[in-house]
Amino acid sequence: MRQVRAITVNTFRETIRDRVLAVIVVFALIMIVGGLWLGSISLGEQGRMMKDFGLAAVTGFGLIVAVFIAAGLVHKEVEKRTVFVLFSKPVSRGAFIAGKFLGLCGTMAVVLAGMGLFLFALVGVLDGRVSGMVLVATAMIYVQLLTVMAVTIFFSTLGSAILASVLGICVFVAGQLSQNVLQLTRLGKNPITEALSWVVYVIIPNLSAVDVKAGVVGEQTLAWGQIALWTAYLFAYMVVVLVLAAVVFRRKEF
Amino acid sequence: MLKRAAGILLVLLCAVGVVTYQATRPDRAPAGARAFVPSPKFFLDFSPSFRTTIADAYYLQMVQYYGEHLKSGALESMPAMVDLVTSLSPRFKRAYIFGAFALTDAGRPNLSVKLLEKGFAANPGDYVFPAYLGYFSYQYGTGSKQENDAAGSRWYRRAAAIPGSPAYLLRLAAVLAGKGGEEEKAVVMWGQVYAGGDKYSRQKAVAGLDRILPKDKAARMKAVAPLQSTMSEKDFEALIAELFQGYGQ
Repeated sequence: MRQVRAITVNTFRETIRDRVLAVIVVFALIMIVGGLWLGSISLGEQGRMMKDFGLAAVTGFGLIVAVFIAAGLVHKEVEKRTVFVLFSKPVSRGAFIAGKFLGLCGTMAVVLAGMGLFLFALVGVLDGRVSGMVLVATAMIYVQLLTVMAVTIFFSTLGSAILASVLGICVFVAGQLSQNVLQLTRLGKNPITEALSWVVYVIIPNLSAVDVKAGVVGEQTLAWGQIALWTAYLFAYMVVVLVLAAVVFRRKEF
Repeated sequence: MLKRAAGILLVLLCAVGVVTYQATRPDRAPAGARAFVPSPKFFLDFSPSFRTTIADAYYLQMVQYYGEHLKSGALESMPAMVDLVTSLSPRFKRAYIFGAFALTDAGRPNLSVKLLEKGFAANPGDYVFPAYLGYFSYQYGTGSKQENDAAGSRWYRRAAAIPGSPAYLLRLAAVLAGKGGEEEKAVVMWGQVYAGGDKYSRQKAVAGLDRILPKDKAARMKAVAPLQSTMSEKDFEALIAELFQGYGQ
């Protein structure tokens, strides 16, 4: 446990030192300029536009940070050869993966909290009404990105960092679509494609199930019980993927 | 050395060329009246998490398209744009209202009514949709004037029945019912306005009833008699007193 905590703290410090917090500043600048521009062209729908585009931007920026840092975490240790020093001590591979993941969870929490709180304040100022749902939606984006991070770390134990990043982004996109693709293939009534898409649906994390962005602009009545269950499902998914990553990593020779 | 200088010169020439062209090129060619608008189904199937963001983006494009083509009146893509935005975001009220007026400018007021009906189906608790339907039915209806008035009255009455709707809707419904030849309904509606209204509404109700009720005392009494069961005795007596002022005992 102490080993995991040490790796977590070190990973957090290391990633924060990588100037990822600059993302918050870039996000803030884009949102301020974008907000003023949207206010002039949206016929009084500035608040709605800010929330919608703001949350999409939080997702986009968050995804880039999550995927690219997660993909490089393990490789960096191997390339710098710090992994040899680490594993010469009584540190298990599982503890290494868990510590790396938890450290990155902390970094992502800081990044998303920064963006979410800024968006919340900006919407409050420009729209004249505060919307707590913006923060809730940001929290759900955080859960989605944690899942993508776990998957990216898994891929990074299998191949190169670039491949892991690309696959991480692919999983994010597929996770948004898997449910709809399954429904579409059911319409085709072809048992083979239906079975295949069902397998994909089960393997790919169902990220769209915890998406509440539409609810922020009053477009969707949210079933909180269902969302809580799907959130628990995503955390269970992360555990499975991280265990698999640890198993793969254990087989690596250093 | 010469090679290096030639390389720098080439880069500089390219940079100057790029800047000069950007700075001096003619304005953007005017956009065509027909814009490419994807099917709402495509986005509904393939963007479950971002459909409202896409709706917003197309809403902005729709507003811009309207502004660019309003003068020429060539708004052929407006119906598809409005349909796309409201299908992706069925509770986007402003898109419906803006779309309804834009469609009339595009010469398609029948589609405005359909659009508002779609909005009302998606937002049954919002009085704004039947209120605008009342206006569009009255203003752009395809029937005779009396039929349009009656249709407008029916929508205003539906809007007035929705909790939170403003009091003037029932007054509008009553006025149009009277114009549309539905005097009996108009009497009942003016009665409702009177019973539930403030001083101003009561004045409007008395004036409205005075316009549509017969002048003959007995006929007038017969016409307002049904109102007795729709309001308190005190209100009814006050209304009768105002309606029969000057008629003598």
